[in-house]
Amino acid sequence: MPSDTDTLTITIRKRPWWFWVLAGLWVLLEVLFLQTALASAREGEYRAAAISWIAVGVLAAAGVLVGFLQGRSNTPAR
Amino acid sequence: MQGVDRNNNVERERKQTGRRALLTAAGLIAAGGVPAAISALGGKPSGGSRKRAWWVKAVDRPTLGQKTGQFKRFSGDNIFVIYRQLKAQRDGAGSFEAEQAAKTKRLAGWMRDRKPGFRLPDHQLSEGAWTLMKSTEPGAGLLSWTRIAVNTPAELGVGRHTAPPEEMAKTVKAAARLYGAGLVGIAPMNEGYVNLRQEKKDIVFEDAEVPAVTDKKFVIPRTMKWVVSIAIPMDLDLLSRAPTSLGDAATGLGYSHSAFTVASLAEFIRGLGYQAIPSVNDTALSVPFAVEAGIGELSRLNKLVTPEFGPAVRLCKVFTDLPMAYDKPVDFGLVEFCRKCKKCAESCPSGALSFDDEPSFKTRGPWNNPGHKAWFEDSYLCFQHWQQVDNGCGICLASCPYTKAAQAWIHDVVKATASVAPAADGLFRIMDNALGYGRQHDPEQWWTRDPPSGARG
Repeated sequence: MPSDTDTLTITIRKRPWWFWVLAGLWVLLEVLFLQTALASAREGEYRAAAISWIAVGVLAAAGVLVGFLQGRSNTPAR
Repeated sequence: MQGVDRNNNVERERKQTGRRALLTAAGLIAAGGVPAAISALGGKPSGGSRKRAWWVKAVDRPTLGQKTGQFKRFSGDNIFVIYRQLKAQRDGAGSFEAEQAAKTKRLAGWMRDRKPGFRLPDHQLSEGAWTLMKSTEPGAGLLSWTRIAVNTPAELGVGRHTAPPEEMAKTVKAAARLYGAGLVGIAPMNEGYVNLRQEKKDIVFEDAEVPAVTDKKFVIPRTMKWVVSIAIPMDLDLLSRAPTSLGDAATGLGYSHSAFTVASLAEFIRGLGYQAIPSVNDTALSVPFAVEAGIGELSRLNKLVTPEFGPAVRLCKVFTDLPMAYDKPVDFGLVEFCRKCKKCAESCPSGALSFDDEPSFKTRGPWNNPGHKAWFEDSYLCFQHWQQVDNGCGICLASCPYTKAAQAWIHDVVKATASVAPAADGLFRIMDNALGYGRQHDPEQWWTRDPPSGARG
């Protein structure tokens, strides 16, 4: 529990504009691959569906990783 | 100073990185997302006028099929007849009959052994699908050149229906879609595309008021200046099982739907007070009319490929004297794609399709009509392979990268990108293979699909 004399610093860092462009692109590709995975299974194209599911997974993992690293790099060193 | 410089460099680098990211993102979005979004916006059916995707562009001249002075009316000789004659010439008298007997015996063996795709239910599914088509003949029954049952406007006590050509085209297209057309367009009549003979009778153009079929000739009135060209989509669930009896069922069903569609549309037009001649494969070449009506482009298969259904369509048409606005040919980058792709030629088990980089005027047999530019096929080899399976093959139709069920958005993205950026064609061909498209689907699985999809359209 901090005492009255401690100072808490909250740093709000604005993400660069290109981050949001990439994030938008990431969402777009995720939706595209997800739709392809689901629709390919309906089309009976199971290989295409499996590869699309892999793409969804890899892209999701990459997104989480980038988000994590971005978060770490934005954390000020103590 | 050094620190300031470094900060400036970092700032500059950040800006450059940002620009690169923006350009990359813009490129990827343009290549993928935007075409998909716009494609999704287009192509919605709306009464008589169906808006096509933006990447299907109307052009003044067809992209392939250029004619020379050598181009003449086709004899109308059926490939079945030509094959029989050539078979006898090449392999001796009686070779055709021996081949047919061997085929019958082989099919019976496959049915007894319950070979997937050739079991009795598979074969009879195909036979059932062919029923309507097999019960037709040019100029008679369903394909009658005169009215079958419809009341004429005079009988109903009204005048014939009149409207501006554009509106009339919309009306006729709406009716055609209702009767089963996946795609429909209007082309001008070209006597050069009409066969010289059929059913051992001449097909002639005369200054007659109504079409007629006599003992000696089929008479087309010269007032018939409009051709309603129609593409009937084939069932992809069945076609993806080619070359089996199930694959052949897709062909039979396409033909039977064609017969129903043109017969119904001809009666509709007669009911408006005009003349109409329904035609499936008979009477005239379907492909050049379909090209000129903007249904699709001529391809490496030497068949029509449509933007929406690929080559997995059956073509049919109705000749009429009902004035309508003509459509234009289309260009969606197919010829350029076919130059590089060659997947159909590689998939063809008989080697019947051309591997040439460029289309030419060089025909490959009497089944080809000379005087136009195309990738000509060897129909003898094709038909010979048919005798090794059931009634037909269809591998080339199923393997074409444009033959896709319209469920995944990615197909529209690829087709749109191919139309505007031919440099990506090779990559798309590689992706098509890598994703497993064009491979034969398990024949037995078709019966367990719940429910079987029926015809797509």
